[in-house]
Amino acid sequence: MRHVPTVAARELRSLFVSPVAYVVMSLFSVLAGLFFVLGVASFNARVLQLRQFQAMDALAELNLNDHLIAYFYDSMSVVLLFLVPGITMGLFASEKSNGTQELLLTSPLTIWDIVFGKFAAAALFVALLVGLVGVFPGLLFVYGDPELGKTLAGLLGVLLVCWTYVSIGCFASSITRSQVVGFLITFVLLLFLLLLPAISQLGVAGDAPALADLLRWLSTGDHFQDLMEGLVDTSDLVYFVVVIGSFLLLTKAAVESVRWR
Amino acid sequence: MIEARGLSKRYGDVVAVDDVSFSVGRGEVVGFLGPNGAGKTTTMRMLTGFLPPTDGSAEIAGYDIFDDALAARRSVGYLPETPPLYPEMTVNAYVGYVARIKDVPRRERREAVDRALERCALADVRNRVIGTLSKGYRQRVGLAQAIVHSPPVLILDEPTVGLDPIQINEIRGLIAELAAGGGDAQHTIILSSHILAEVEAICRRVILINEGRKSVDATMEELRSQGRSLEALFARQTGGDAAAARSAAARGANGEGGS
Repeated sequence: MRHVPTVAARELRSLFVSPVAYVVMSLFSVLAGLFFVLGVASFNARVLQLRQFQAMDALAELNLNDHLIAYFYDSMSVVLLFLVPGITMGLFASEKSNGTQELLLTSPLTIWDIVFGKFAAAALFVALLVGLVGVFPGLLFVYGDPELGKTLAGLLGVLLVCWTYVSIGCFASSITRSQVVGFLITFVLLLFLLLLPAISQLGVAGDAPALADLLRWLSTGDHFQDLMEGLVDTSDLVYFVVVIGSFLLLTKAAVESVRWR
Repeated sequence: MIEARGLSKRYGDVVAVDDVSFSVGRGEVVGFLGPNGAGKTTTMRMLTGFLPPTDGSAEIAGYDIFDDALAARRSVGYLPETPPLYPEMTVNAYVGYVARIKDVPRRERREAVDRALERCALADVRNRVIGTLSKGYRQRVGLAQAIVHSPPVLILDEPTVGLDPIQINEIRGLIAELAAGGGDAQHTIILSSHILAEVEAICRRVILINEGRKSVDATMEELRSQGRSLEALFARQTGGDAAAARSAAARGANGEGGS
């Protein structure tokens, strides 16, 4: 595991000497800003509406965390669902098309050095994007009084959801030599992940509650929700560790499989 | 330095390499000769630890490729057929990265990189991005990558393919230099080629591989003393004349002992 930082540093370096990192970061900032402004506008509209109707109970319940930041985090997790595949698609696929896979596998590196190194690089870059997400609720602290704990727990949720995306992207990239295929596989898997709660409804309808529960548990949705409500629960953290770990294990198997053929 | 014992590689029913054994001593330069698809690359990939053999084993600098995999890989410098380059990196950063993953200690790294760049005449382009270099330069970067950790064993897969005659000469000169270097700088080299003149020019020993089997293993001197040119040998071995191949193989085996 000594070489995880070596592999990660090279990966990050390549990301930042190419335009990819900057394009992703600037486009993402624009999108995040847009979503945030729209969120603030609709929050304002809601306040005005409730005032007009003199709905004091509802107005008292209205708060920045649940009615603005949570929506913002939610939409950011969907925006990142589109971006992360673009970040991870080349991680392993490009090593294969460049022929550099032969260098890695004939060097005194373990497969885990390679897999963790690449995951770490993408995870760090994504953490940077999530940091950008965090700037916007940060602004609210200047003009309002959201709960700090809840805001940070939600941000942690966004980060963990994105790392889950990254681990899935790693796996997809490791099973193909084409970056486009890597992108598409990741994208489809992530959409599937997003739709799992809906799919689990089919299980309820089909009278298989155990399966429905399993599918619901597998989806990031409920775990993310807990974090956005400020609940940092061990069981939710375990969920993320299990899912990320499983995909990295699959990635390791895929990288190693060159040797089995 | 290199001990191959019954190396075989099968993909399902297809036998790519069949029971190849040989041994290469310190400082030897051995040419792997054979038509395309004969199993040269597969044999090299097994020696470097990229592919595990289906059968048999090998030792590199005294390390078993299975039991001491990391130590064995540390002892090999490998230039695959397409140099394994990251086009977006600079020459300097790339060779430095390879030095790091090949376990060159931190203190010696800068010196190791400088020496490799110097030997491959890359000092002038060290800050250039690899993607902008010509093919000859890229090949040299590939070589620099292979020698940066001063491995005792160098395995070069078609090191001159696709280069122009001047570049070919440069690379050949460099290989000769690497084999001649005294002490630590002396490398044991296996290189593959299907260019007979090239093997004749730089190798002192030839291993001919055909259809996955080793059919000849002899030093250039032995071949010359028997009055056989490499060309005639190659033509006969690969011409499908099985009987001639067998007898030549037997003669080749008798003539062994250069290592």
